[in-house]
Amino acid sequence: MTPFRSTPDGYVAHWEAVERHVLARVARDVAELVRTESGVGPGVEAGEGVAFTGVGRVPHDPAVQRLLPDAHKEDPDVAADFRHLTQTDLATAKIARLEAFADALDPDRAAARVLDGDLDEPEWDQGAQVVVPRDEAQAFAGALTDVRIVLAERLELDDDAAVEQLHDEVIAGVAGDDLDETDDLDETDDGGPGGEQRRYWGGVFVAAGFAQESLVDEMLADLRAQRG
Amino acid sequence: MLSTLADAGTATEEETRTDTWTDAVPGLADPWVTIVWNDPVNLMSYVSYVFESYFGYPPAKARKLMLQVHHDGRAVVSSGPRERMEVDVQAMHGFGLWATLQPSGQGAAGAEGGAA
Repeated sequence: MTPFRSTPDGYVAHWEAVERHVLARVARDVAELVRTESGVGPGVEAGEGVAFTGVGRVPHDPAVQRLLPDAHKEDPDVAADFRHLTQTDLATAKIARLEAFADALDPDRAAARVLDGDLDEPEWDQGAQVVVPRDEAQAFAGALTDVRIVLAERLELDDDAAVEQLHDEVIAGVAGDDLDETDDLDETDDGGPGGEQRRYWGGVFVAAGFAQESLVDEMLADLRAQRG
Repeated sequence: MLSTLADAGTATEEETRTDTWTDAVPGLADPWVTIVWNDPVNLMSYVSYVFESYFGYPPAKARKLMLQVHHDGRAVVSSGPRERMEVDVQAMHGFGLWATLQPSGQGAAGAEGGAA
């Protein structure tokens, strides 16, 4: 994975097949989690600018609670009112951009076919370009945020120190090499991820952070240049 | 907020444009505020980007608010009528930041401190 760089066509990085494949799969898992937990029905097509009415129920999953949080700390009426008014739109927008993110990385859903055993190995080339058009960059960065938030909850990264420790572990090379062995994100973990799981998802979390940081740095530079 | 990857080197680049911004200062006519809370996941650069791109704050002000969130655990990022704050809170949630709204009189010490 190389950092994103600003080009005339948008923000461009090179990600290896396994990186595209894993991040696309995680994004689809997170989209499904949000869909299930927020009460947005499976038949609802996520789309831009379409408002759906519906009762926004409080998500059970703590990671989704973080994506769709209470809007008031002490007043449950204000929080419930806000959730009722906004949750479906918010959840729908998150699902749409997570799916767009996954499609951009893995348009043929080859990842799922590989993992299901229907395809022996990824048919796309290694180290292909990931091109993020400027007008889609904010959604791409937002999808990375949502993925990172869910991974952090699963990895029990509750504070800055926990995140820094994980970074140190991953960067020290303890990170797992075997990215083909995945587990679903759908199930809430029992006692926190152990060695293998932690190495695997920790590596994904750090990679997503690297991608996001380089993308956002370029977006900030462009934004400031425009306003300069 | 995650600082390990963040670039701390851009701290003083935009000091020339500080504090010409006054519309985020809670006043008597602004009964509600939007507060952004710290979390260990969001990158410092991303939080700055959100404050600059969504609110239109100059880099120095965005950075000051970002650091306040990071160090103090929260910052008041906007103030105004409740309906306006609901829009801001929803936008922050869209970006993946945790934001709440409240009447500006509640918890005034922490809240007012965030508006400078």
